[in-house]
Amino acid sequence: MNQQNIKWSYMDHWRSNGPSGPVDQWHSHKTMSAFLKQIKATGFDAIDTFDFRIWQMYGDYGGPAKYQEMVQDNGLERIVNTFHAADYDVRNYAPHIPATHEYILEDFRVTMGRWSEIQLDNIIVMPATLYYDMEPVTEDKLKYTAECWNKVGEITAGFGVKLTCHHEFFCGIQSEADIETFYSYTDPQYVSLFVDTAQHCIAGVDPVALYNRHAHRVSGFHFKDTRNVATGDDHRHRPDSEIMAPTTGKWFYEMGTDQGLVDFAAMMTAVRDNGYRGWISVEHDKANKEGGDYSESTAISRWYAKNVLEEIYR
Amino acid sequence: MNGGIRWGYAINQWKPQFDDFVRREQHERALKTISIAGFEGVELTYGTGRWEPLGNPQQLAANFGSVTGFGEFVRGCALDAVSSWYWDPAERSMEHLTGPLSPMAEDDLPAMVERARELAGALPELGGSVLVVRPVPGAGDVEPLGDDALGRVAACWDAVGRATAEHGVRTALHVDFLSALRRDHVPALLDRTDPAVVGLALDTGELTAGGIDPLTVISAYGDRIAHVQFKDALAVDEAEEYLQPHAHWTVRVRGGAREIPRWFAEPGADGGLVDFPAVTRALVEAGYSGWIVVESDQSPHPAASALLAGYLVQRELRPLIETEKEAADA
Repeated sequence: MNQQNIKWSYMDHWRSNGPSGPVDQWHSHKTMSAFLKQIKATGFDAIDTFDFRIWQMYGDYGGPAKYQEMVQDNGLERIVNTFHAADYDVRNYAPHIPATHEYILEDFRVTMGRWSEIQLDNIIVMPATLYYDMEPVTEDKLKYTAECWNKVGEITAGFGVKLTCHHEFFCGIQSEADIETFYSYTDPQYVSLFVDTAQHCIAGVDPVALYNRHAHRVSGFHFKDTRNVATGDDHRHRPDSEIMAPTTGKWFYEMGTDQGLVDFAAMMTAVRDNGYRGWISVEHDKANKEGGDYSESTAISRWYAKNVLEEIYR
Repeated sequence: MNGGIRWGYAINQWKPQFDDFVRREQHERALKTISIAGFEGVELTYGTGRWEPLGNPQQLAANFGSVTGFGEFVRGCALDAVSSWYWDPAERSMEHLTGPLSPMAEDDLPAMVERARELAGALPELGGSVLVVRPVPGAGDVEPLGDDALGRVAACWDAVGRATAEHGVRTALHVDFLSALRRDHVPALLDRTDPAVVGLALDTGELTAGGIDPLTVISAYGDRIAHVQFKDALAVDEAEEYLQPHAHWTVRVRGGAREIPRWFAEPGADGGLVDFPAVTRALVEAGYSGWIVVESDQSPHPAASALLAGYLVQRELRPLIETEKEAADA
């Protein structure tokens, strides 16, 4: 990457206000153009996206390659990662239930084919169902889950893409002990770790320590902040923890926010000391909750990356 | 010399109402947004009272300890400077217990000069160099400007210009689309002022909304331009509603008979009428050196406006200046 060790990618959660209410960037070519311009203006190098956007890429832009051309026309390098947001229904899509594995494997065979016209670095997954659909979390369940992702990782590796796991605080594998057990059963060749600073922090796991323990198999990061650690049953709240937990109306904040709990200086120092070279993704999903504004959150987080973190490592 | 163009962004879009944008963290987020969008300076707008923390030197001191303290705050947000201060003397001063001042009233001259001196005195410490002023009231609020009135106005701004020059600050006359100077009086006033201390602030949006092509102003008065504001115009006051009394409220704010929802926007906005590459090229050819302050003036989404404007500056206008400079040097 020339003399630049770190490049910054933007995970494409986004809302703006249209004349009939909030819209996302996929609303129209005009809203997509405004989104990409703002990402470029703040100095990001690339974007990440979601798997489910591929239909809009095909429908509105002619496919991932054509969409990526638009990304590049706006001065951004490419699409780096995609997030595979599955439904995780215990009837057909539960990594801890072996009977659902073939369905999951077929999903990835099809998915990777759809993406094959561009080169991604990572396909990111939540490695488990919602916590309440997996509990009690046993060693056997963790082992079955690891076996599932080992096989998925072999499929994605065939397309030159890393399978990497992103541990939401409300998923079945979120405690430090369960994360450690899970990785002890996975093959580093096929399963990587994607460190989301806020998710781990909410789950009471120190993201810096976690990263230092697994640095050799960390394939990327979501740098985002939080102001709250989950308490009580926050991680297993039915039907949803992410936006419906009674204790907390908004879990995620942009890096650089006041009262943030993540120690980004320590995180960036660890990134440097582990010799990581590559992409760091920035996200602040649901930034618009409780009066937030995506454009402003994007500006504040990239300001922090440029003026604070790049002073540590770049 | 065109390397001497510096880019700033105006703070005014963040304060649509008097009770908005009063908290420190809001200022910090706005300044950081301006910085990361690629701008190096911020333009302030004069205001008065405790709900105008960035409005004047006294309020800066009340909120940041001192003007120096505010300068540290600005630099802490990774901006180099406060480029300029916009001041309409018709705005009262709660700090001085004075009402509106008029450049046409000789009795107001001492207070005008003193007020300008205060604003200009703070600017160098903040890295700024221009006091942008509204030179006359709106066309509908004064009698047509005759020779005597223009003479008094010119004398006033010359006196102000001399006072600000003592601080190394240029006084720049900002003719807006409601101004009594809108049509034919700009030359009459400019020609009466001292070019050494009084210049013109070229505002692309105001001129365009007033039916005046900024390119013709650059062509005629390029050597008098002391400050530039880049904002887009989304409508033109073709019916000359600016001649109505209180047009500041009925036309600018309320939108006039057509209820124009938004006269102005950041450069490059949908429906914008200003050709910014052409204006930029003309400024370079005219040898302009100084600040170009980008504005939205009004924006429902200030951060998005700043970032979209930053994209245009970074990707098109700044490279255009470099290209023009290289061509001139070749």
